[in-house]
Amino acid sequence: MLLSARGIGKHYGPVEVLRDVSLSVRAGEIRALCGENGAGKSTLVKIITGNQPADSGEITIDGVVATIRSPADAQKLGIALVSQELSLAPNLSVLDNIWLGNETVPLWHRRRALAERARAALDEVGLEGLRLDRQVGTLGIGRQQLVEVARMLTRDARILILDEPTATLSDVEIAHVFEALRRLRARGHAIIYITHRLGEVFEVCDSVSVLRNGALVGDAATGAIDRAGLISAMLGRELGELYPPPRAAPADGRPALSVRALAVPDMVHGIDFSARAGSLTCLAGQIGSGVTEALRALCGLNEAATGEFTIGGRRVPLRSVGRARAAGVRFISENRAGEGIFLRLTIAENLLCGQLRRFSRGGLLRRRAMRTIAGELAAAVAVRPARLDVVAADLSGGNQQKLAFGRIIDGAMPGVLLMNEPTRGVDVGARAEIYRLVRRFCDEGWCVVMASSDLEEVMGLADEVITLYRGRVVRQVGRAAVTMHGLLADITQQQAA
Amino acid sequence: MMALCRNAFARDLRPYTLLGIVIVIVGVIDHGTGFFFRGATLFSIMQIFATYGLVSLAVGLSLLVREFDISVAGMVSLAGAVAVLAGARDPWLGVGLALLVGLVGGAAQGLIITRLGLGSVGVTLGGLLSFQGLTYVLTGNQSISFDHVELALALNAPIGVVLSVRSMIVIAAFVLAAVVMQFSRVGRDILATGGDRRASTMAGVNTGGIVFGVFAASGLLCALSGVVLSYGLAAASPAALSDVLAPAAAGAIIGGVSVVGGRGRPAGIAAGVLVLCVLRSGLNAAGASADMLDIATGLVLLLIAVLDAPELARRLTEWRLHRRGA
Repeated sequence: MLLSARGIGKHYGPVEVLRDVSLSVRAGEIRALCGENGAGKSTLVKIITGNQPADSGEITIDGVVATIRSPADAQKLGIALVSQELSLAPNLSVLDNIWLGNETVPLWHRRRALAERARAALDEVGLEGLRLDRQVGTLGIGRQQLVEVARMLTRDARILILDEPTATLSDVEIAHVFEALRRLRARGHAIIYITHRLGEVFEVCDSVSVLRNGALVGDAATGAIDRAGLISAMLGRELGELYPPPRAAPADGRPALSVRALAVPDMVHGIDFSARAGSLTCLAGQIGSGVTEALRALCGLNEAATGEFTIGGRRVPLRSVGRARAAGVRFISENRAGEGIFLRLTIAENLLCGQLRRFSRGGLLRRRAMRTIAGELAAAVAVRPARLDVVAADLSGGNQQKLAFGRIIDGAMPGVLLMNEPTRGVDVGARAEIYRLVRRFCDEGWCVVMASSDLEEVMGLADEVITLYRGRVVRQVGRAAVTMHGLLADITQQQAA
Repeated sequence: MMALCRNAFARDLRPYTLLGIVIVIVGVIDHGTGFFFRGATLFSIMQIFATYGLVSLAVGLSLLVREFDISVAGMVSLAGAVAVLAGARDPWLGVGLALLVGLVGGAAQGLIITRLGLGSVGVTLGGLLSFQGLTYVLTGNQSISFDHVELALALNAPIGVVLSVRSMIVIAAFVLAAVVMQFSRVGRDILATGGDRRASTMAGVNTGGIVFGVFAASGLLCALSGVVLSYGLAAASPAALSDVLAPAAAGAIIGGVSVVGGRGRPAGIAAGVLVLCVLRSGLNAAGASADMLDIATGLVLLLIAVLDAPELARRLTEWRLHRRGA
């Protein structure tokens, strides 16, 4: 065994987050690490990479007990992490970022030799066209992730840990990451791969470890377990139907929302589409296809957007959040921590903060009414009302996302709900709840439009799918006509293999 | 032409553009009298530069890692007093002791900030008051004179018309800082730490060490500034340069250092300080009062704040689209 962690235990205060967890990985093996949010995956990774001390247990590398007290220790032992939160300095160049924090770079160094090795690593992850002096902050999140993978390659790490590397990537970029991983496996690296996307476990991994509530509940070769088995190991129960059934009767034919010639400089080049009330329309496309930018523009969040946007025949001005809201547009951002909820406020404060006018009299807040409504809203989005005073930062990704949904319900008439990647970073169990919630909004008459790069989700959920490629609409198809093959071909403009 | 203008005002080039503009303006105000372009004027500009440069560099370094060292004025006074008192017999002993005080004082602040995870504003405000208080105790709250007048004369004697030993020491410190920032790993780590400290830590940068080192260096630079100043004046006063923080920070910001960290260069800081020196010298030449300098500095800072505003960029984009008729 290249890396072997045995009997790892960890407490945060009185809460036991890891209990006697063991995990090992051989050279030339990709091991998936699965579990719902809060299962303890991140903590285990932090311990292996020296970002957190363990309370008990030991880690051996090549059979030798290793002391890992800091990220620098881990790096010396050949352990490298590509975290979900990127570790790139946005103000530095690609070249500087690749060598940032590398213990082998001398204090005074010649940059040319470093540049050559950085170039080779970038080529290996499919970033052939990327200039070394490009400032990292100007790159999209997908390319930043690949720069991180390239950084690991230059560190000659033998044990690579990837924490949900594909959560924010498009399919083509994911293919690049997988290619890089397979190459690294062939060279004898050991890889621990954390993911919420079960398909990836079977596509790229050799074995899988499953954590639940801080304990190891499964350890198997991927050939010896199936998808259902994996899900029930993660949840500790059978997952009902992940996707709720579509509306039996098709929504009435009148388009609630129509978009003409929507354009955002460099991103969206004149797209047209319409969506019906009571139905769920998915905009599907890779990162860079313009799906997220298009929805942001409709919410008034892009200052340079142009085009015609009407709801129920009434024109909604672009480039103003206030007017979009007044017209009944509500938005759930892909950036939950930054734009979705207030991490430092409590559940109750989060739910009500957008609608305080409803509870004010003469400028003073009516606390009792607030409490009642907050409880109702929490119940409506399946958050336990007993937890109203819990701070949002302490919630799982899934529960945080439910709060974002709860904030939208403000007593206004059903309007237009626009969502970008609503299940990003949300585990399987909470996903099902979010999907049911989305369907409920539809049933109440909302016109829901959602951008997603997760094709499985699009297939399972959408009543209508609009595919985009490089800022233009490829196709608008009804649920019945949607195939995985067709979607993939649309959004990549290549014959899917 | 538009593109050229935009580049000239982009953060990296802006300090030099502003310096050029200020020189032209002062030259125009001066028109024909020839006062401004005399060697003596250039010499006095460099002497002012020698007074403020190191402190500005110190503040700039702390801004680079997204901290703010408020204690600079206190350390300049304290080190100046220590140097004069301890250097009465042997000036070199005074220099050594003063630099040691600067290093230890800065390191102590850095240690408190990194170990206890405290904000630098609060800690260095405490540092400012402590250093100032110590200076009052040491000097008995009065100006003390330094007997080595020949040293003061030597420090200030013109070299090659515009320079002096005093200003050359400061220039050497800037060159050293520029070399470290440009060519060493520490320089990259400082910028990375200021750009995103969490990410840099995750990447393996010893960000605590970097922040600690920056405060130690800041203390050392301020001490050096205090030594050079008090020896140059042949006196140490507890109130000397007590108002240095504002011009020092202004110099760094005009010099292209981002107040949110991670951007800026020593050469830019030098240019930023020179902008202030030229302004002051030019306004003096024009017979304007000292208050005018504050107002002029304020206007330059305001201009920079406006140039950096995302709101302005947004409005310009809108205006352009509007003109295109989109």
